[in-house]
Amino acid sequence: MTADALLAQAVRGWLADFVDNTYLNAQEASADGYESTRWDQLRDLGWHAVTIPDHLGGGDATLAEACVVAREIGRAAYASPLLATMRATVVASGGAGYFDALVARIAAGAPATLVAPPDRTVTATPVAGGFRLAGEPVVVEWAEVATEVVLLVPAGGDWVVGVLGRDALDGRVSAVPSVDNERIARVALHGAVVREAVTVPASAARLALAGANLLRASLMVGGCADVLERTARYATERVQFGRPIGGFQAVRHHLARMVIATDAARLMVDDALERLAEPAVAEVASFTAARSYVELVLTSAQVHGAVGTTTEHVLHHHFRRAKAMRSRTGTRALRLRELHDALVVHGEASQW
Amino acid sequence: MKAEHLEFLGELRAYLDALDPDLVAATRAEHIADAMQPRVNGRRFLARLGADGWLGVSWPAEYGGQGRGPVEQWLFAEELCDRRLPNGLLTLNAIGPTLMAVGTDEQKAEFLPRIIAGELEFAIGYSEPDAGSDLAALRTRARPDGDAYVIDGQKIWTTGATVATHLWLAARTGEQADRHRGISMFILPMDAPGIEITPILTQGGEQTNTVFLDNVRVPAGARIGAENEGWRVLTTALNYERMFYHNEPRWELRQLRDWAASAGLLDDPVVAETMGELAVDVEICRLFAQRGAQMLADGQVPYAEASANKVWWSELRQRICDTGLDLIGEAGTVAGPTGPAHGHLEHGLRSSPVWRFGGGTNEIQLDIIAQRGLGMPR
Repeated sequence: MTADALLAQAVRGWLADFVDNTYLNAQEASADGYESTRWDQLRDLGWHAVTIPDHLGGGDATLAEACVVAREIGRAAYASPLLATMRATVVASGGAGYFDALVARIAAGAPATLVAPPDRTVTATPVAGGFRLAGEPVVVEWAEVATEVVLLVPAGGDWVVGVLGRDALDGRVSAVPSVDNERIARVALHGAVVREAVTVPASAARLALAGANLLRASLMVGGCADVLERTARYATERVQFGRPIGGFQAVRHHLARMVIATDAARLMVDDALERLAEPAVAEVASFTAARSYVELVLTSAQVHGAVGTTTEHVLHHHFRRAKAMRSRTGTRALRLRELHDALVVHGEASQW
Repeated sequence: MKAEHLEFLGELRAYLDALDPDLVAATRAEHIADAMQPRVNGRRFLARLGADGWLGVSWPAEYGGQGRGPVEQWLFAEELCDRRLPNGLLTLNAIGPTLMAVGTDEQKAEFLPRIIAGELEFAIGYSEPDAGSDLAALRTRARPDGDAYVIDGQKIWTTGATVATHLWLAARTGEQADRHRGISMFILPMDAPGIEITPILTQGGEQTNTVFLDNVRVPAGARIGAENEGWRVLTTALNYERMFYHNEPRWELRQLRDWAASAGLLDDPVVAETMGELAVDVEICRLFAQRGAQMLADGQVPYAEASANKVWWSELRQRICDTGLDLIGEAGTVAGPTGPAHGHLEHGLRSSPVWRFGGGTNEIQLDIIAQRGLGMPR
């Protein structure tokens, strides 16, 4: 077994011990949205800090391995600050050592989150002692829980990587209900000043975002895989008109389309992880994984019929997570325009 | 992709770039007009590649090939697709490897050297008027007669029959009720007495044919594989054929891009949003083909994976032509080279139905994915 397969097995085993639909429902209804004791276990296992260098207290492994963890989390539809923490880590690690202290705190177990509005709705301007932010309020995952808030926004031609101290966020964070079982807050950043920040070129910001988005894409690939497996199993078990519904060609074709969409997402993410120097590939992967996950849950709901719509079936978590995760990648039209610019106009992401 | 694969791609491109530009241009025009039957220039082009040792990239050295792997073979096909040039199609990529797997030493010696030299072109004789997707219902009969067979019947949709040197024929040697257990495979020279070809013109401008077989006599040595065991030979060839879907969609998207650039619409948001998604799907097409090649390189046989590739490829080509014409609007009613995108998109749309049902209908491919891939019941 490869190291990746062993890691996947370990994460899946850990999750299987306690995550099922009843658990997910209970956590979603709870005050915090997750169990901090489980977070402590995650921290002890080191799965929140896979990519953090050894000397800062992390696992010293690759983004591909962090994506293995994300995929298993996505498969289980498990909500926690993990994805936000890993995304924040990727961006903070792009600051050329400037944020080492913060990264070390994350490695020690501090939950983190990332403010990087996908549609660039927040911008930064240099002022004395830092950068002043401008823009509409943004939605941030786990903003109330995160003790470390990393920021990545454009500032003129360059970008700013910064850390928002809790004092800077005071009075600016208000929890809002989420479409899915993750926790979110609306954060009003207009006028806030970021004191701990560095500028990075747009190319570096693009690479950092590509890495962070690959983590979410991997989580969605895991979601696709779980939805597909559950739906295929249901189609062999559910009997109508005297035979399993998977024996009906119309249902088989639904399932085949789900296989194609799942394969497309997984292959694209794997390709992106092999070509990390080419952010366009990761951008294609992010788009593809989101599109596939939504397609999967819509078709799965159709194959399951009424039973798939109940809160007693885990599909309701996947269903809402698929759309929420896609929405977190920003406006579909803007992503497509960027992809057009990269792939069609500039010929990125391909050998041809 | 590994460094060695990129290096191979570089070598191939350098070779293709250095070919006689007149030959390349003439071949491309012919190929774009009708990709399924290499004619005067296509034959010259393939003979050139054969003479230069560039056909049979993945064929073993003992058969005159380069002895490289399936990934290089995929890159070869992908690169030629990208340039809209013929890549040897089924003759080189399905018939040749099938003969290597199941042919006798005499058959290999007779056909393989001439296939890899680019001298031979096979037409595929599977479909009949009453045996399309249900191929096991075919009725063309081969009767043993001494040390020969006498063949009678009718084939249809035999694309390339008028330019082919040989016919790869499925015929019934057993009982009709035996279905796939009563079929044998044969190779017939196209000029054998008793073969008559009637052309059928399609809406895409491509020609296909009906082939009538009237008392066609072939020696027993023309049978490929054992008598009544032709189904295995046929499915072997079909498995190779189903891997043969490469990135024509990328070429078609490029025609659309060139139209948008010439119309000054490359930055138009609606154009950009439409083409952005098509470009994503083109990259996915690349990965589906690459996966199949990699599986073959790893000693696995892609079934459901080949089907996914075929479905994606065919639907994407059609979608690019269809939505491309939607972007173009009224001007898209102008047909041919003077029309927008030089008429490639309207031509593609006219040709596109064949892509979705040819080589096994997409509905059958989806069943293969669900049944072989996911274990769904029949």
